[in-house]
Amino acid sequence: MTDRTHSPEETKAALHDVVVEMYDRIVKGEPPTMTLPVRTKNNITFNKRLGVYKYGKSTSVRDATSLRSAKQLLRALHVVEFIEEMIDAGKSSTLREMYYISEGWGHGKFGSQNESNNLAEDLEVVTKCLREDFKLRPEEDGARIIGNITLQERNRRGEWMRINARDDVGDSGYGVPYNVESEKLELIEHDVDFIMAIETGGMFDRLIENGFDEDHRCALVHLKGQPARSTRRIMKRMSEEWDLPVVVFADCDPWSYRIHASIAYGAIKTAHISEYLATPTATYLGITADDIVAYDLPSDDLSKKDIEALNAELTDPRFQDPWWQEQINMMLELGKKAEQQSLAKYGLDFVTDTYLPEKLAELGLA
Amino acid sequence: MTEKRDIATRMAGNQKQASISEFFEKNKHFLGFDSLHRSLITAVKEAVDNALDACEEARILPDIRIEIRKADPRRDIIELEVEDNGPGIPRDSIAKVFGQLLFGSRFHAIRQSRGQQGIGITGVVMYSQLTTGKPTHVRSKIASETTAVEMDLGLDTKSNKAIKSKEQRVPWVLEDGTEKVSGLNVQCRMKAKFQRGKQSVWQYLRMTSIVNPHASITFVDPDGERTHWPRVTERLPRKVSAIKPHPHGIELGQLNRLAKATKAANLSIFLKTDFSGVPGRAVKEMCEVSGLVDAKGQPLKSRPGRLDPEQIRALAETFQGIRGYLRPYRLDHRGSRIYVANARRPGNPTAPIANAKHGDLLDALTGASIDDLVGIVTARTDMHWEESLTELVGAVGSAHGDGPWNKQAADAISKHLRKAWDPRIVFEAVKLLKPPIDCLSPIEELLIKKGLSKTIDSRFVTTLTRAPAVSTGNPFQIEVGLIFGEGMAADSAVEVLRFANRVPLMYQQGGCMLTKAIESVDWRQYGLDQPGGNGVPKGPAAILVHLASTNVQFTSEAKEAVADNEEVREEARKAMLELGRGLRKHLEKKKKLAKTQEKFELITDILPAIAEKSAAILDREVPALAGSITRIMNAVIAQEETAWDKESKRTTVEISLRNYTAKARSYTLLANWPQREGAVMVDNEHGGRAEMTGVWAWKLETLKPGESATITFALDGLEKGDWTETDVFYRGAGDVIGASKMDDALLAELRRQEDIITGEPQEEEEEAMADEPEGPEVPAEDSPAPPVDEGGGTPAPSGPKQTLFDYTEGEA
Ligand SMILES: Nc1ncnc2c1ncn2[C@@H]1O[C@H](COP(=O)(O)OP(=O)(O)OP(=O)(O)O)[C@@H](O)[C@H]1O
Ligand SMILES: [Mg+2]
Repeated sequence: MTDRTHSPEETKAALHDVVVEMYDRIVKGEPPTMTLPVRTKNNITFNKRLGVYKYGKSTSVRDATSLRSAKQLLRALHVVEFIEEMIDAGKSSTLREMYYISEGWGHGKFGSQNESNNLAEDLEVVTKCLREDFKLRPEEDGARIIGNITLQERNRRGEWMRINARDDVGDSGYGVPYNVESEKLELIEHDVDFIMAIETGGMFDRLIENGFDEDHRCALVHLKGQPARSTRRIMKRMSEEWDLPVVVFADCDPWSYRIHASIAYGAIKTAHISEYLATPTATYLGITADDIVAYDLPSDDLSKKDIEALNAELTDPRFQDPWWQEQINMMLELGKKAEQQSLAKYGLDFVTDTYLPEKLAELGLA
Repeated sequence: MTEKRDIATRMAGNQKQASISEFFEKNKHFLGFDSLHRSLITAVKEAVDNALDACEEARILPDIRIEIRKADPRRDIIELEVEDNGPGIPRDSIAKVFGQLLFGSRFHAIRQSRGQQGIGITGVVMYSQLTTGKPTHVRSKIASETTAVEMDLGLDTKSNKAIKSKEQRVPWVLEDGTEKVSGLNVQCRMKAKFQRGKQSVWQYLRMTSIVNPHASITFVDPDGERTHWPRVTERLPRKVSAIKPHPHGIELGQLNRLAKATKAANLSIFLKTDFSGVPGRAVKEMCEVSGLVDAKGQPLKSRPGRLDPEQIRALAETFQGIRGYLRPYRLDHRGSRIYVANARRPGNPTAPIANAKHGDLLDALTGASIDDLVGIVTARTDMHWEESLTELVGAVGSAHGDGPWNKQAADAISKHLRKAWDPRIVFEAVKLLKPPIDCLSPIEELLIKKGLSKTIDSRFVTTLTRAPAVSTGNPFQIEVGLIFGEGMAADSAVEVLRFANRVPLMYQQGGCMLTKAIESVDWRQYGLDQPGGNGVPKGPAAILVHLASTNVQFTSEAKEAVADNEEVREEARKAMLELGRGLRKHLEKKKKLAKTQEKFELITDILPAIAEKSAAILDREVPALAGSITRIMNAVIAQEETAWDKESKRTTVEISLRNYTAKARSYTLLANWPQREGAVMVDNEHGGRAEMTGVWAWKLETLKPGESATITFALDGLEKGDWTETDVFYRGAGDVIGASKMDDALLAELRRQEDIITGEPQEEEEEAMADEPEGPEVPAEDSPAPPVDEGGGTPAPSGPKQTLFDYTEGEA
């Protein structure tokens, strides 16, 4: 899997191409530009070979005719220079550190952390390199895993450390590092039948307390909301290297649908690397819109934002599957959403004793 | 107003002490002493108004200090001290001013002044005495004496006389060791409450300082906190002179009273001396049309007081224009009217026959014959001249025969009478002059601007003084101001600052006509929020309205809300529209400016940085930027900077024009400057020429791509803050960012306006009235202008700044 990354030379050359585009335009007496793929749902298409969604052919040109985009270009140049310096010095930094370092970049300084994150992604997309190539580390919180799986991780002294995610960890489970590539982490062995990704911490803890992982022979992954790249990457590796099914257990609202889409089909923001992050075989277990009715779950009204999000999903290429269209429309019709923990209506054990076994049975996993 | 006087008159009469305090108690809301909070504001107001009035009269720039101390906080006892540098009051008058009701210097005069009653300060003395039993301490110095006189004053409510005590002469030495030239210091102790907020002493003083930019006002509140509103102009308000009432504003009852009270020996003298706007010619005419003439046609010699009610009524009708002259004319060969001198006769303006109902005329004419025609017409209207009747008979006879007429003929004759027949007579009221308007003392645009800017710290201020107008014989003038910008709350209603004759109105905002004028404008189109398009708008702004008038009508005795008057409201509304347009223009300009600024930042900061950084990363040479800059800007850009130069005490203006396009361009630049406000243009090295008053033009050399030209000049004779923004115009092809295209049709219109204004400023009408030929029977060859509605004249220009734009946008 190391072929994902690029050599320092490759990375620098790719970054230089971005700079050359700007430079050449100025030489020609034109406003400098940066060309990059459109990063919206309108420009992601399904790649049959990879089984995931990737950016399509639309590009947009960011040109320096408005102050905003001119500043973006300048920032990009500063970032390029900064990355080169890090590559040369053998250092790395977090995205947040880069944001603070930009304080010294004069007019190229970032207005917010979000801007710097986006720009790093822009450069990834344009250069087809990864932020690991750029020596930029994310801030994002990795997931926790509990279950009878064994992996080995290289510690700070460079030694391999063997960890069983059931016996060698405390209640918080195994913490997934931000780099989960093979030079840092190896999957050793497992004794589980499937992997269950869980949206909320409350439900993750409930399943552990109820001993669900042992009773049902599975590994539980806490997603912590929208899953970080490393979370998605490790799930993909477990699913591919161990050939394990992945099921997603989330709330029933438009945002949970998107969490699932980013795991199974690829996220819009990271569509340039979908093939490394997405697990096309992942299945959405629940909570589904029909569960709200079937289990008569306590629910909340959809907010205006929720409705907008659902409508956007109706035209999102990743949700064109009839089952998803039905689920989305059903939620719109109900005008309701429900949390995972609403299952507690029927008692603390209902989720492990009744709901999940029934849902897993539908998938043939129980 | 009269009620307040009535109260005072009754109070001033011999009353028992118990009952006079009772009386004060009962009527104190009229006098502004109805709550502990309001009483303090009223007391401050009476003292400060007096100080301002006295200074104005003595032509002294006022320095006023107001101090409020808590004398006994547990019992709401407050000590108020007000000191001014006015003329002071001579020793012998002090006791009367402070201890005697109705001792004022000006209750008969009609003019714009703050105090009008002669109750004000005595009311404060009385209130203090009634609530604390303490006398008022006064110190006064007049310039002609070397020492000041001090005394304690109370009121003997039995005799309406002052009780004075502890009188002594003292030297009045100021803090800096010098002697005070003149002035007054008043200290009193009263039951009252000090508060802050929208209705407070502080707010009253702040508003007062806005409309009295010539005053320096210092306020020390009970916590020792000092606020100083500095003087922003050395110019005292124009000296106002008293005027007599104008006939147009006089009602029957009032005329009756005036006739009874006059000292004039006869009617002519009465009309001539007791009223304004009545020239000698009009005296005779008024008597004639009122039927107050003797057998020889001369005005009656009777004493005005002797006129009987019918005669008074007739005179009142003449005053109001109900009676007047029927005035014949003939038509010249071109069909224009030539008025026949001295062929007029008194009459009422009965409706011309053209207004008669067709059916009625038809009925009368059916079956009638040519001999009846004159009778039929004269029975229905007075509005005809014999000659035109003769013509009528001839015309009808030849067209329809002598009659009797059938329905069809009658119908045709009736139509002819109503539509085609020219009766050759018009009705005219006795022409009077407008009342003089120098009795008004507007604050004037520039000073309002300064006043507003000093109390509210914001960027954009626009002000406007409308030309004086007249409503029912009372001259009035509307002034408005709008201040907009950061530093004011954006999400609440704008602050409304209302003033009548320079006196702040702090209560009853909703019921005030001045507020209604603001509400009648749809401010949304001018850039302010206004839910539903009515009500007081919202936004970071304050709107000022000042009504200067010889006769401000209030809704109540409290004198806090101006009563409705259509003409005044319309004037105020028009003024608001102009403010609105100014604001919109400002906001648009600001937006454009921000955009241009961004582009400049782009090409001066960002683009060079991109070039340098990319060159550094690639290890190549830094590329030239000219081409990219032209592509990015693709415009000609004008920049203007108007600044105040402290050293030379001049306003400097710099206008630069840069061609950022790929083609050569040539332009004439134009800029407005405050020529009418007395500024002198100096250091104008680029030469150019005056395009018109207040607009200068420079022809520029052709600008090649990337080239620029700069024009600089300075303005002498202005004070800091007088001129802060110069409007730039251009003539030439394409668009110029930062300047407006000068349209030559517009310029021609401006010139025309200017001619009207500078040619014969508003005297037109008066002259026409006054110089009417009264002499022998020579027919006047030119028809005089038809009577013009007073107050409807062309508004005078409102300073060069507004003028240019107001006309470009037209009346809304
Ligand atoms: N500070 C002062 N300096 C000089 N003269 C004063 C001062 N205060 C009052 N006077 C004189 O005393 C007169 C009476 O003042 P007072 O306030 O009683 O009545 P007013 O101002 O004429 O009318 P109003 O009742 O409306 O206040 C004034 O007209 C003025 O001539
Ligand atoms: Mg007074």
